[in-house]
Amino acid sequence: MSINRRDFLKVAGVAAGSALLPNLTVRAAPAAAADESIGMLYDATICVGCNACTNACRDWNGTDPEPDERGTYDAPKELSADTWTMIQLYQGEGEYSFVKRQCMHCIDPACVSGCPVQALEKTADGPVTYDAERCIGCRYCMYACPFHVPRFEWDAVIPVIAKCTLCADRLSQGIGGPNCAEWCPTGALVWGKRANLVAEAESRIAAEPDRYVDYIYGKEDAGGTSVLYLSGVSFDKIGFENLGARPIPELSEGTANIVLPGIILGGPIVLGLIRWVAKRGGWEESWPV
Amino acid sequence: MASLTGMFRKNTLPRSFWPLAALTLLAVGLSIYRLVVGLGPTTNMSDHYPWGIWITVDLFLIPIAGAAFTVSLISFFFGYEDYRTVLRPAVVAGFLGYAVVGILLFLDIGRWPQFYNIFAPGYINLHSFLEEISLCVTLYVIILTLEVLPIFLERTKWEKNIRWIERGIYIVAGTGILLSTLHQSSLGSMFLLMTHKLHPLWYTPALPVLFFLQAGYTGLGATAIAITLIWRSKGLPVNRLLVRRIGQAMGINLLLYVFLKIGDWMGAGEIPLLLKPDAFGWIAWLELGIGILVPLAILFTRFVRHSQGPFWAGVFAIMGTFINRLVITWVGLAEPSPLPYFPSWIEILITVGLVAGAFLVYDRIIYAFRLLPEKPETRQ
Repeated sequence: MSINRRDFLKVAGVAAGSALLPNLTVRAAPAAAADESIGMLYDATICVGCNACTNACRDWNGTDPEPDERGTYDAPKELSADTWTMIQLYQGEGEYSFVKRQCMHCIDPACVSGCPVQALEKTADGPVTYDAERCIGCRYCMYACPFHVPRFEWDAVIPVIAKCTLCADRLSQGIGGPNCAEWCPTGALVWGKRANLVAEAESRIAAEPDRYVDYIYGKEDAGGTSVLYLSGVSFDKIGFENLGARPIPELSEGTANIVLPGIILGGPIVLGLIRWVAKRGGWEESWPV
Repeated sequence: MASLTGMFRKNTLPRSFWPLAALTLLAVGLSIYRLVVGLGPTTNMSDHYPWGIWITVDLFLIPIAGAAFTVSLISFFFGYEDYRTVLRPAVVAGFLGYAVVGILLFLDIGRWPQFYNIFAPGYINLHSFLEEISLCVTLYVIILTLEVLPIFLERTKWEKNIRWIERGIYIVAGTGILLSTLHQSSLGSMFLLMTHKLHPLWYTPALPVLFFLQAGYTGLGATAIAITLIWRSKGLPVNRLLVRRIGQAMGINLLLYVFLKIGDWMGAGEIPLLLKPDAFGWIAWLELGIGILVPLAILFTRFVRHSQGPFWAGVFAIMGTFINRLVITWVGLAEPSPLPYFPSWIEILITVGLVAGAFLVYDRIIYAFRLLPEKPETRQ
């Protein structure tokens, strides 16, 4: 048996007589536009783990520090409603690496696709932004995100979703780039036009092939992200899954484009046919029976 | 309306009334508390488990309440006349089931004061299956209200005001069936975005079809259980031919489901995952055995003719559906986390209390309105 899942579902679909209607809505091809929009490049081989980015983020966005038990140092363990970016340490045998966490600002984001009320939006500037006035707090974005990024303000009575905004306000007002990138003292984190960042990453790998894993995470992963990563250790070790090159929302939105018009247009016909073939009854002419 | 006034007279109340009423009142109080203080202090949900027991229960109750959908489809469109006796109880049960789901969803969303955003034209995202579910379930509750109104207003002075529902019942019921088809399948489609999170034994592009078929047999199973229990408790003669027919319809659904499920596993090359001795392998076997193979063994053998055959097939199928929805909404969807999730006592008591309330109201509706066929000895 060498049928794959796709073939099986095709056969099953035809057998079930499902009518494949042409897609009524056409998915935008945002990849080209994204290359002209703003992104960031993080080079884990340069980062010294100083956490200046975390503090710059708190400074601009007004989030509260998460101190350790002794209360002497801001020491968040993972992303939270208060911590939109942070540095984590990976330690392996004879190797280590820092890794910065924040929203990847996908080119075709699953959170935006899933949000029922369009509270999340991929803007032309590059950032994926959030609008609390729209949000109903369903938390579907948290499950949809393949990078485990959106966080919820659990302790608030009327909570908001919290995540990195790529400093969309700074970008749109022309104040400057994302505050974390502006404050990075080592140059491990830079911001700019995505196309330029990809070129920069490629030239760094070409110049020092021994220093890097020959891969730019985010260039094509999950359809591409606006935040790009370079690393000296393999990406799975610093928490980056192999997500494939297709955008996450593709299957879901493709299904929606078939199912919605299919059932709304085809449903009444099928029901009518059932009734016509069955030709039973006549007893139920009045309700309640 | 004489029966309505007697609804809460002491000698008509069943013994279960006061315990159920106490649970319901407790749940109402705790629900208000949750809305006032927020989700953090009242639930055990966290950034690693953004959805808890309420979502699991929603996804489990919706296919059970789908009884209203399957029974309407079979009686109105397939035209099986003997289903008429279960049409009223199924539609009212569906209405109450969806009411519980609606309340739980309202409690679950964090920013409940602006819940109406899901209906705001400029906000609606039709690419989101969650939005589609929200819209379909809301419209379906309206349809169910139209379907139950004639039952509640029967023999009252308002009866003539709702004749239009009775005349247009095919359009009303047909719309309800389409909305059910949409949201029952969309519950599965909702997980299509979670390609990299849901366990591969449960994740498949066929999720919408699987959820739809599962709603079919789960609703029918619930109907078989309800007939057996309610009819018995009210001393009504059980129409064994009808029960067997329901069992057979359930069997056809189950067969399609198991064909698709196993075919999908084979097509995706996931059979080795079933044979791996880890927790997920065992759960998959448990779900397949209890929820599908046992009911099939009952429904496709002579046991289907036994008066309690379809009843037990329904019990096992519903247990299987519960395991399935539990894995898909919780166990198989876990984010990497240092802390396991277990519902808080407030989450549990609200869930139990709301379901208790639904049972209580259902019992009183059976008492006050003509839901069940009349007893043969009292027939005039």
